[in-house]
Amino acid sequence: MISDIKTLLRNTWVRLCAMLMIVAVTATGLAATAPAAHAAEVGDPAATKGKTYKIGTDTTFAPFEYQEKGRMVGIDMELIRSIAKKEGFKIEIQSLGFNAALQALSSNQVDVVIAGMSITDERKATYDFSNPYFQSGIQMAVAANNDDIKSYKDLKGRTVVAKTGSEGETYAKEHAKEYGYTVTSVDQSSTMYEMVKSGNAVAVFDDYPVLAYGVSQNNGLKIVTPKVPHGEYGMAVNKGRNADLLAAIDDGLSQLISSGEYETIIAKYLGADGAKEQVKAISGMVTDNGATETAKVKVGFLGLARQSLPALMIGLKNTLLITVISFVIALILGVAFGLMRVGENRIVSGISKVYVAIFRGTPILVWAFFFYFGVPQLIGHSVNIWVAGALTLSLNSGAYLAEIVRGAIQAVDPGQMEGARSLGLNRRQSMARVILPQASKIAMPSVINQLVIMIKDSSLLLAIGFGELLYQAQQLYAANFRVTETLLLVGVIYFVAITILTWLANIVDRKVNR
Amino acid sequence: MSENNVKRMMLDDDMAGGAGADDVVIEVKNLHKSYGNAEVIKGVDLTVHRGEVICIIGPSGAGKSTLLRCLNGLERATSGHIVVNGHDLNDPKVNIDKVREQVGMVFQHFNLFNNMSVIDNITLAPRLVHKESETQAREHAMQLLETVGLAEKADAMPRSLSGGQKQRVAIARSLAMHPMVMLFDEATSALDPEMVGDVLEVIRELAREGMTMVLVTHEMGFAREVATRVIFTDAGVIEEEGTPDQIFNHPRSERLKAFLSKVL
Repeated sequence: MISDIKTLLRNTWVRLCAMLMIVAVTATGLAATAPAAHAAEVGDPAATKGKTYKIGTDTTFAPFEYQEKGRMVGIDMELIRSIAKKEGFKIEIQSLGFNAALQALSSNQVDVVIAGMSITDERKATYDFSNPYFQSGIQMAVAANNDDIKSYKDLKGRTVVAKTGSEGETYAKEHAKEYGYTVTSVDQSSTMYEMVKSGNAVAVFDDYPVLAYGVSQNNGLKIVTPKVPHGEYGMAVNKGRNADLLAAIDDGLSQLISSGEYETIIAKYLGADGAKEQVKAISGMVTDNGATETAKVKVGFLGLARQSLPALMIGLKNTLLITVISFVIALILGVAFGLMRVGENRIVSGISKVYVAIFRGTPILVWAFFFYFGVPQLIGHSVNIWVAGALTLSLNSGAYLAEIVRGAIQAVDPGQMEGARSLGLNRRQSMARVILPQASKIAMPSVINQLVIMIKDSSLLLAIGFGELLYQAQQLYAANFRVTETLLLVGVIYFVAITILTWLANIVDRKVNR
Repeated sequence: MSENNVKRMMLDDDMAGGAGADDVVIEVKNLHKSYGNAEVIKGVDLTVHRGEVICIIGPSGAGKSTLLRCLNGLERATSGHIVVNGHDLNDPKVNIDKVREQVGMVFQHFNLFNNMSVIDNITLAPRLVHKESETQAREHAMQLLETVGLAEKADAMPRSLSGGQKQRVAIARSLAMHPMVMLFDEATSALDPEMVGDVLEVIRELAREGMTMVLVTHEMGFAREVATRVIFTDAGVIEEEGTPDQIFNHPRSERLKAFLSKVL
C-alpha cells in the first residue's frame, strides 16, 4: 500500500519534471531565434509605394491618439496619414494600447508603432526609430481640489502614479528616492487619472502635452510643475526589419516639416505657440539607431530569468497573499450564502440567490474598478488596494463557492436529513453534525478548483495597479521588451505555484475528509 | 404525563369517555395528503393505542408510506388532524422536534449517518437532544447493540455493514431515544432474503416487550404473527381493518381478497 503511494508520487514527479524540461527547452529555442541586433541598413522610400502597412497605436493618449466618432484622431494619426499620402502607401490603424502595440510589433503583428513613444537607448536595442517628430516633457498634476501638493518636495511619504513604460514613469522613478515618494504604475491613462481622483495616489507624472490636454478636457486634475524636457518621440519598426518603411517615414516627415503642414497639424492640437516651439525643437534632429548597439548586449534566457526573478518573486508573494486572504473570506461567504440558499426561509434564500446572480453575472474587472476608483469617490476617502483587491476576488469567488456549497448539500442523500430529524435533532443540529460533514467531502474537489481559478483571476488586479505576478512581468517587459520570454517565465511560475498549492490542498482534503 | 393528558382531552373532547382513551398514543382524523393535484391519502382515521402492533398492508401506491411519514411530521398533512401523545402536529406552537423524540422511525434504506461509526450513530441524538453524558449514552448504546447482536460492530463505519446489520443498528439508534412508539417504513424491503430474518427477530422481540409499533410491511406471514391489528389500505383509504385472523382468513372486501390472492 505504502509502496503503491510512493510509486504514484514518483510517477507524478517524473511527469512534472519532464513537462518542465520541455518548457525550458522550448524557451531556450525561442531565445536562440530571437532577432539579434544588427547594423541599420539604408532603406528605399520608393519601395513602400502601393503597399499596406499595419500601424499599432495606443487606445487613448490624447492629443496624440484618441477616438472621435469611432475614428482614431490626434497628432500621431494625422502625421502618419499625411506621411502615407506623401509617400504613396496605405495604412491600417490598430488601436491596441501602448504595451500591446509594442508586443504586436515584436511578434510582427503590426509593422510600425506610433504611440507617443519616446526614443530611448533601451528601446533602440529592439527597435529602429524614425527621426524625432515631437519633443516631450514631464509634468506633474494633482487632483483639482488638492492644495497641499505644490512641488516635488510635498510628495514625501506619498504615492504617485505613472503609466507603465512611459517617460513619466522613468522620470518619476528617477526622482523617487530624492523626494521620498513611491511610484505605482498602471496600464491605462484613464486608470491613472482615476487613481489621483480617488485619492489612491496624490499625483500623476505624465508627458507634456498629454497631461495639459487632459486638464483642458476637465479630467479633474491640475498641473502644478513646469514642463521638464525629457526626450523625443519617434515611430518604431522592428530592428532591421523594415528599413524601407522607416526611410519613407523619415522622408515624409521632413517634407511635412518643410511644407509647413507639420506646424499646421500641431497647431490644431496645441495652439500656434506650441507648434512653433515644436518645429524649432525637432527640425534637423536625426535618430542614430546604431549608436547604442554595443552598449546593450542581449542576455540569454537564463540571464533574463536571473534578472527578472527578484521582481517576479515579489509578484508571486503578492499573488499568493491576496489569494489566501481572499479565499478565506470567500469560503466564509460561500458557506454562509450556500446555507442561506438551502434554508427554509424564502427571503433569506432569495438574498443568497440575488448575491450569486449579481457577482456571477458581472466581470471581476468591473468590481475591481468599482471598489478602487468608484467607492473612494462615493465615500470621499481612499481605499487601500489590498482591501479593494480582496473585496473584488472574495465577493466574486464567494458567489461561485455558494453554489458549490448549495450543490454539495443537495447532493447528500435526503434520507440523512430525515434520519436525523426523525430522532428529534433540530435542523441546525442535523446540518452541523450530519449533512455538512458529508457535504464538505463532496464539495472539496470543486472548492480546490475554485482556489486555482482564484489564483489566476488575481492577475486581473493588475488593471488597478496591484503588484501581483503578471503586473511585475509587465513592468519588466515594458523596460526590456522581452515579452515572450518574460511571459513564459511567468507561466512556469504560475504552473509550479498552482501545482504545489493543489497538492497541499489535496493533503488537507485527505486529512479533513478521511 | 398528566399535563399531556389534560392537553389531549382539551383537543379531543369529542372522543373523551371512550374505553381506551387514556392509552391512545396516536390519533389521526380525516387525514388528506396531496402532492400537487394528486391526492394520495383521501380521508384516513386511525387510532393507535398503547401496546398495539399495527401492520399496514396494501398494494404499491396505496399511500402506506405517506401515511406513516405523516405520523412524525416528515410529511405535512394537507388537511385533517394528527395528534401524537397529546400534541397536535398542525398546531404551530407544537415543537415537532419534541414530538419526534418520542416517535422512533426505521426507514427502508436505513439512513444511518455515513460520516460516523455505529456507536456514534446511536449516541448522537441522546447526547444532543437528551443531554446524556458521553459515558451514559455509550453504555446504553452498547446494551442496545448487545440486544440486536452487533456489539462487536460498535466502532465500524456503516459502509462496512451488510443491509441487515445496518437495519439492526438503525433500530438500536431509534430505541436509544426511549420512544413511546416505533414506526417501521418497509424495514425489510431493501434487504437480501437471508438478512430479513435477523431484522424480523429484533422486531418480534420488541413486540414481545410490549412496544407500541406501526409497521408498513410486505411480510404477510410476519404481519399475521406479530400484529394485534392489520389495516388494509388501497387507493388512499382504509379499505378494511381487523385482527390478523379477520383480515387474512376472513377477508370481506373484493379488493382485499384480490390483494391477498396475489401476495399469499
